[in-house]
Formats: sequence, structure tokens, C-alpha cells
Amino acid sequence: MLSRVANNLIWLERYMERGNGILSLLKVNYYANQDSSELFSWTPIIKNYTSHDNEFTTEDAITCIEFMVLNTNNPNSIVNIVTNARENARSVQDHISRELWLCINNYYLYLTKPGNSKKLKEEDPILFLDNLKAFHLMYYGNMDNTQERGSSYYFLNIGRYLERVILISDFTSMKLLKIAQTSDVLEQSFYWKNLLLSIGAYRLYIKTHKSMFEKELIIKMIFQDQLFPRSIYYCITKISRHINKLVESDELEKTNLDYLLGKLESTIKYSTIESINTIGFENFIKDIKEDINDISFRINSVNYSQVNN
Amino acid sequence: MKNDYLFSSYHQLPNTWDEMYTNKALIRAQYETINSYLKSVSQNELFKKQELSKQLFMSQGVTFTVYNDKDNEGIEKIFPFDIVPRIITAPEWDIIDKGIQQRIKALNLFIKDIYHDQFIIKDGIIPAELIYSCPNFLREMVGVNVPHDIYVHISGVDLIRNNDGAFYVLEDNLRTPSGVSYMLENREISKRIFPGILPKSNIRGVSNFPNLLYKKLEELSDVSHPNIVLLTPGIYNSAYYEHTTLARLMGIELVEGRDLLVKDHVVFMKTTNGLKRVDIIYRRIDDDFLDPLEFNANSTLGVAGIMAAYRKGNVNIVNAPGTGIADDKAIYIYVPDMIEYYLNETPILKNIETYQMGKPEEFKHVEEHIKDMVIKKTDGSGGYGMLMGHEATDEEIKNYLNEVKQKPHGFIAQPILRLSTAPCCINGQLTPRCVDLRPFALAGKNGIDITPGGLTRVALKKGSLVVNSSQGGGSKDTWIIK
Repeated sequence: MLSRVANNLIWLERYMERGNGILSLLKVNYYANQDSSELFSWTPIIKNYTSHDNEFTTEDAITCIEFMVLNTNNPNSIVNIVTNARENARSVQDHISRELWLCINNYYLYLTKPGNSKKLKEEDPILFLDNLKAFHLMYYGNMDNTQERGSSYYFLNIGRYLERVILISDFTSMKLLKIAQTSDVLEQSFYWKNLLLSIGAYRLYIKTHKSMFEKELIIKMIFQDQLFPRSIYYCITKISRHINKLVESDELEKTNLDYLLGKLESTIKYSTIESINTIGFENFIKDIKEDINDISFRINSVNYSQVNN
Repeated sequence: MKNDYLFSSYHQLPNTWDEMYTNKALIRAQYETINSYLKSVSQNELFKKQELSKQLFMSQGVTFTVYNDKDNEGIEKIFPFDIVPRIITAPEWDIIDKGIQQRIKALNLFIKDIYHDQFIIKDGIIPAELIYSCPNFLREMVGVNVPHDIYVHISGVDLIRNNDGAFYVLEDNLRTPSGVSYMLENREISKRIFPGILPKSNIRGVSNFPNLLYKKLEELSDVSHPNIVLLTPGIYNSAYYEHTTLARLMGIELVEGRDLLVKDHVVFMKTTNGLKRVDIIYRRIDDDFLDPLEFNANSTLGVAGIMAAYRKGNVNIVNAPGTGIADDKAIYIYVPDMIEYYLNETPILKNIETYQMGKPEEFKHVEEHIKDMVIKKTDGSGGYGMLMGHEATDEEIKNYLNEVKQKPHGFIAQPILRLSTAPCCINGQLTPRCVDLRPFALAGKNGIDITPGGLTRVALKKGSLVVNSSQGGGSKDTWIIK
């Protein structure tokens, strides 16, 4: 496969995954903000997902959602993310299924159609966000059902799980900041619950551990669960698996990528709450982010290493 | 339900051939099936069909991007599509088919001759200065042998039908003609909006084009499974949709210049697992941008060293570089002579009478009949930089002629043509609009094939003769009867 194509596939999927993650975050925060706006403000979200020189800020829910979804000056607004995803998809149309392309293109057309801002202001914002999320669900389903298993699929998946790890770590960091600011156990439990909701782990958590929000159990679920598709561990094993598939099918040369992934996988798997506490939870996440950035960088350089041959 | 409103105000243009009506306002036989269908459809349904066609183009991403000079921000547009097909009979198509085959055959021989022995100059048919002053003549191609002596593999000859009912050649697009994806896409839309009508009307299919193109490309290589790629300038090119479509339909890799490199005079593409050799390149970038080492040094679209690899025979470039010499507007005048010179045949398709502004007596004739003339730059395209005598002011004419005098060899003039009209559905009524026709010819070692159909472009503005997509043109599906 062309290196550029592989790179575009990874980015196509990263953008789609990011869009889905941000929409979940907005929806969960909107609900929470209706309950207690002082605990669940919009500013941290805006800060995390805009460029460092962004000066825009708001505590009005609708204004924030509009900024995060429709504002073209915000590089991580859903409309920009989907535009980027579509640009990537457009240039790899001969590598993705027709259905997948139509799905992304229709999402893009839906978002760029005039009248969305009006709809957001006049209608139920949850419905507005759900309508957008529906495109992501359709996209996931389409990919599962129409994309043939092969190098394109593997690269797409690498993009998906790389981005997912970054999203989960970012969501967690954002909440840790809030948790650190209070010693009120009840308030802390609100934040933990909120984190579970935005990652989509709430239902599983309640089912497994009942309505008791304990840090240790939450960290175990978000970071170490082997079967939950939005746990860091799960994502890392998926990246590993798809890299190996590519190596097996002679699409990638064997490099030290599998070593890095294996190391990260074991670090997460064998960390205990004590060992995490020793280095500090913030540092634990920071290390994961650094490792994943390094892996992502190496995947890019694998793609381009042949250029100067 | 009978939709009489649709047919209520069809005013044929005077002295103009209409594709649907005879000059006695009778419907031509080939239009009968579609007409009775249109009559049976209500106004509302017709609007729905138009809307459906727009949506289909949008949702499939059949768009092109127009760039605004000011903010450099592109706007994606669809190429306007008129739902009423343009229909051509079998005998008419037979002439077009034979005529284009003959022309492409002669033009290929001409290009080979010009880059080798130049018999046509030596025999005094074409003046040498015309060739050497032409910007599309590539010295880099002199003496280069190309596989099977085929230079023009893909061409899209523009035809118009004059008021005598005959087809004339407007220009031979021999470089990187575009529009073939619209021929394919328009047909898909027709199938959706006119269910059952195509088989009933006995229309020939066009969907075989990509397979045929692939076969022609594959034949060029001696390798058993050649690696064929389509080279695009990238997503910002207005024909990018077409590039992705053709690559997808042929199952070949769509590459950009930066995906390729030349090593030891062999072209490779950069893959995730190293370099992979490329055997055939169907390029959709112009000669000028192909190789920064030999042509435009600033080009980042091409591949450094690709021409050297080509000359060594290590890679095949389709169409061959340098074919522009044969579709220059000044050379066009000589195509009938070429047909006689190389093939010893009478041209089947006529040329449009063309005056060379470089010849004083012809300049004078044009000046005297300026109101009936269109003047064009010999190296221009896309409908830009022309003077349409009948709609220009005296001031504009004066200025333009002054410009011509500076460099008379760079201009030609033609009488303003009566492009034939075809019915278009505009605001719920059928209205005549001017059309042309671009069929697509594929030349390979086993002959020339012309897909029965083509791109009918239509000037959607009332009274306009300009069909270019950049200037308010649209398109129609083109039906050829079996």
C-alpha cells in the first residue's frame, strides 16, 4: 500500500474517532451542567480542544456546543474534524468501501448544510448531538460490515485505537484536575461518575460494581479492563494486533514498534493501584500519553521511512 | 396525467438544427419514447426527479471545486445536469465513430512523424515554423520511440452539429481530456430517473469504458501483470473526482507526484513496505508539470527524472508527452490535409472553416466580417480569452484586434457557429439550449474504440454558445441508439 494512503487511512479514522469522542463529551457535560453548572463548566472542554492561542470562552451551553460543533475557526470543531476526515477519505476512495465513503460524505453534507446553527438554538440540543452521533454509529457499523479485512482495515483500526487512547487519557486528565481541587468525597464521586459516562463505561461499571464510585475500581475499568472496548488496555492490544496483522501480511516491516507496544501493554496490565499511587496518577497518564505519542510518531515514520531510499 | 405545460413553449432558434424537432416542428423518431414518458409525468414529479439527480451527485461526491481568487477558499459545486437526454441515431453515430477513428489514426501518425522524420514538413504540407513556434512542441520528445507508436491513447474530440445537420470537429483534445466520469455518472442517474426507458429505447451501454481503458493500458506493457497507476495533481484539481472514479473502477492505484520517485531510471511508488516498481502511468497532469528536471522547474506535482525513465523505455506514460502539438488550434487547420497525406482518405468529419490571423489576406477577411467571427488564441482553452464578434462592442473589437496584431500567428478565427440545440428542462418547461458532444476514443495496439456515448455539454444560459463548465455550462446524458 502507498505510504500516503496508509497515513490518510489512519488520519481518516483518527478524525472520525475524535468526532465521536467529543460529541459524547459534549452530551454528557450538557446533562451534568443542567444539574450543577458550577461543577461541570464548559471552559475545560474548550481549553482542551482548541489551539493554545484560542481566546474564546463561554459558559453558555448552547454557545459552547455551537463553538465545539459548528465553528470553522475552531480546528477541533466537529465540522472541521469531519471535513478533514472526508478529505482523507476522498483521497483513499479506492481503498475503502463505497458505503463507507458515502457515509462520510453524507455526514459532511449534513454538517455543512445551512441551518444547523438555527436548529441547535431552537430545538433540543441533545437531539441535535444525537443526530450527529448517529452518523458515527452508522460509520462504525458500515466499517464493520462493508470494509474487507486487509491492510486498509488494519490501518484504519490503528488510527481508531490510537485516537481512542488519547481521548480517554485526555478525558481522565480533565477530571483529575477537578478531583484534585476538592476534598469533598461526594463531589469527587460526581466527577468519577461523569468520567465513566463520557467514556461510555457507566452502564458496565454499575452492572459490575453497583453504584459505588471507587477510584481503584474505576481506574481498573478504564485502564485495565480486557474486554471493555474503551479501556486503554483494550485499545493498546488492538493496536498491537493490527500492527502484527500488517507485519504478517508483509505490509509493514518488523521494527521495534511491537517492542514499544508490548512494553506499554505490560506496564498497564501489571500496574497496581499502589504502584500508580507511588508515581502519581497524573504521571501515570502522562507516561501513557508520551508512549502513545512515540508509537504514533513511529507509525508515521514507518510509513515514510522508505522515502529517502 | 398529461403534462402539457412542459411542451408549451418550445421556441426553436432560427437557422439552427434542433436535436428533437425537425424544422417542421415534428418530433424526430429517436425522441418519441422519452417524449411520451415525459408527457406522462406530472410537473411535480419532474421537479422531484431534478432534485433527485442533484442529490445523487452531491451524496456521491461528484463535485468539482471552484477557487475564488480573493480568499482562495474553494467552493464545491456539482456540474449542472439536465435530465432530458440527448439522443443520437445509429446512422449518425456510425459517421461519428468512423470519423473519429480516422482522425485519431491520422493524428497519431502525424505526432510520430513530427517527432521523427518530419516527412509532412519536407513534403511542404505543414510549414516548419508553425511546428517550431508552437509551445506544445516538445523538443524532449524528438527521436523518442513510444510503444506501438501510439501517442494518443485517450482522446475526447469535441464535435458540434451545424445547421446543415452535419457534425463538425471543434477541437481534438489529445492531452488529458476530462469528462469521461460524467459520461458514466450521467448514465447512472438516467437509470434512476427514467426507470425502464433505456432498454425500451434500445440504448447502447457506456459502462464498459473503464474495463476497456484498463485493457488498453495493460496491452502497452510486456510484463504479465504490469503495475498501472493513475497520476493525479491531487485533491485540489477540479477533475479530482474523475481521477478517483477511474482509479476505483479500474482497480488501480491513485498516486500523486510525491508518491513516486525515480531510481536508476526506474519509476517506483513508495509503499509501507518499500518501493514498488511502476510500469504504466496514466497521467492526468499536463506535460509542463510532469518532470521538474525537464519542464517547469517549480512543479511539485510531477516526478523528477520521469522523462529520462520514459525515454529509456522503463515506464510508459499515457498519453505520451508532446501530443499537444497535434491539438494546437493552429495545427487543427491542417488535420484534413493530414488525413489525406497519411491515409490517402477523404476526411469523414469536417473541420470548421478557420482563418489564420497570421495570413494578411485572411486577417483582412476576418476584420471585414468581424461580427460573424469568433477569434481564439491558438494555445487557449476552457473558453477563455476569446472574442465573440456578435456580442462585442466596437471598443472591445478594436482592442482585441490590436492585441492580435502584436502576435498574429497566435490567433485564429472561425465563423460563429450555429450550435445545434437540444431540449432542456428549465423551470418546468422544455427550452432549446445549445449543445456540443465529446465522445471518448481509446487507441491501443489493436485499434481504436469509441465508447457509444459521450459527454454532451450544454450552454444553460439563454442564447449562450459557451458550454464550458467553468462558464455556466452543464451536461446531459448522451444516448446512442442500437
